[in-house]
Amino acid sequence: MFFRKYGDIVTGIFYAVLGAVVIYLSKQLPKSKVMKIGPDFMPMLIGIIILILALMLLFSAIKNFKANAEKAASMPADTSDYKRVLASLVLVVIYVNILAPVGFIISTLGYLFLQIVVLAPNDRRTLKHLMSYAVLDIVFVFVVFFLFRYGFKIVLPAGIFTL
Amino acid sequence: MGALGQLGAAALKVCEPTSLLLMIAGVTIGIIFGSIPGLSASMAVALMLPLTFSMSSSLGMNVLVAVYIGGISGGLISAILLNMPGTASSIATTFDGYPMAQKGEAMKALGVGIVFSFLGSIFSFIILTFFAPWLADVALKFAAPDNFGICFFALTMVAILSSGNMVKGLLAGMLGLVFALVGLAPIDGTARFTFGIPEMRGGFNTLTTLIGIFAVADILVSAETIGQGIKTIPVKKVKGFGFSVAEFFKWIPGAIRAALIGTGIGILPGIGGSTSGMLAYVTAKNMSKHPETFGQGDPEGIVATECANNATIGGALIPLLVLGIPGDGVTAMMLGGFLIHGLSAGPLLFVKNADVVYGIFAACMICALIMLIIEWTCIKAFVQVLKVPKHVLLPLILVLCAVGAYATNNRIFDVQSIVVFGVIGYLYHKFKLPTTPFVLCFLIGRMTEEYLRRGLMRFKTFGAFFTRPIFCVFFAIAVLVILWSLVKEIRASKAAKNS
Repeated sequence: MFFRKYGDIVTGIFYAVLGAVVIYLSKQLPKSKVMKIGPDFMPMLIGIIILILALMLLFSAIKNFKANAEKAASMPADTSDYKRVLASLVLVVIYVNILAPVGFIISTLGYLFLQIVVLAPNDRRTLKHLMSYAVLDIVFVFVVFFLFRYGFKIVLPAGIFTL
Repeated sequence: MGALGQLGAAALKVCEPTSLLLMIAGVTIGIIFGSIPGLSASMAVALMLPLTFSMSSSLGMNVLVAVYIGGISGGLISAILLNMPGTASSIATTFDGYPMAQKGEAMKALGVGIVFSFLGSIFSFIILTFFAPWLADVALKFAAPDNFGICFFALTMVAILSSGNMVKGLLAGMLGLVFALVGLAPIDGTARFTFGIPEMRGGFNTLTTLIGIFAVADILVSAETIGQGIKTIPVKKVKGFGFSVAEFFKWIPGAIRAALIGTGIGILPGIGGSTSGMLAYVTAKNMSKHPETFGQGDPEGIVATECANNATIGGALIPLLVLGIPGDGVTAMMLGGFLIHGLSAGPLLFVKNADVVYGIFAACMICALIMLIIEWTCIKAFVQVLKVPKHVLLPLILVLCAVGAYATNNRIFDVQSIVVFGVIGYLYHKFKLPTTPFVLCFLIGRMTEEYLRRGLMRFKTFGAFFTRPIFCVFFAIAVLVILWSLVKEIRASKAAKNS
């Protein structure tokens, strides 16, 4: 509901702030000594265009706010499962940050299993299913690791588990 | 001996059993590398290069060509089945290929992609064989301002892509431009928006950005509804390639247009297959009588992209062979291959080693055929991937994405950035912002600035750009595109108000 009702306003505000930040940061960039158009030209231009477009979007969103809100209210309710989205996001963020220090094998073994469990529908979380996920997890991780290590000659982060 | 005669003689030589077997192996390896994101065609060529040391120069070059062709074409498999562009060239294939696969038409989408990859390649190889020297002369006439004109024209395509809600579409693209700015500025190397983080100086890698925006975002979007029940994607069985003769002929004009765009972009060094695929896609959408079906699973979208990105191969070989100028990473690797085998790419190659050159031409065509046969026979095996339930498949894809992102540069930073772009892709989905403009702007943003500044260094003022006819043509088309899109937008909003 929030996205439908306030989506354009939030987008407009985000881009207006982004435009302002880009303009501010481009002012800090050094100007070119040899030519008129230096490294600051493009960012400045992009910042100004973003700011103008964002204000246009905000203006039209506020003007049409009532009509849009009524339209949003008449639509079916949002049934999205944000718990799963958030849990997946947290897992992914942890995974990419421990990948280097812990190593590919251990971090992926943990991540992959937990991520499958998070995404699995409730009736697919029985012990039997969990066992099959664990087997798949182990097989997949080792196949990928050895395929990259010896097949493609790409050494994945070894971390604490040096092979 | 005429070109045709030499081509025939070369084709006979290429079809010898050893050469044929090696080329089949090369194409297969290329397809595997192409379909896994992070493993690119250039990496495959680099890995195969040492293996060709002991071969004769013509055989070695044929193997490299085989890997190159397989590598570009393989990207379509993961793009269609997993929404994960295996190579940057196949980004636009995801736009219609993935929706088609979700609707149960994965086999048809693959069939269309494979056939038109083949046709696109063959088209460009015919042009390569008969017009290479002449076209190379034309390519030499392109200076920085002209390339800037093309990039500017490509950027205005965002306006077309976002028709219906232009302000939002343009804003969506602008964020792509902001991300393209990150890193060292072209020409003078000033660090921009790096916030003191050393890894950011290199900017965001194209492939990791795309993986994030498409594949990682897709996992988050799917997580919203995945708990509502077990989901597997249906796969409709098809005969042949999955489309009728009538459909095929209906797509031919679009395919020719896309192949021309692909070959044209390929000839110009430095622009590349990813841009040509996107441009062909947008042009097809724009010229279509039913643009609203694009992005919903319209085979014509796949026809345009696959034809164009494969036609780029033949185009890119033209400056490589005739002038010795590599246009992108893969052709640079190929140039390395030439040097190792004692061949100097350039005008003399045609005089001194005509047998090798025509051998390459013949190998190109035969490899395209091998690619068609291998991919077609494996369609049934490819679609088995879709039988894995989504809650298992998506995490596996994410791990492959992370590995692929790491493999591109051996940097953990790239893996971390796929998550950032994944979140952006997810937020774009929630706030109903289109991702295509973001991708297009991100791809072209850096190039546009570079050519603009290079042009200004040489020609001093922007006004001087207008003395160049090629620039003027593209600039005029770009301005027309903007005006036309504006008029269309205003008309549409008026019509909406009246109704």
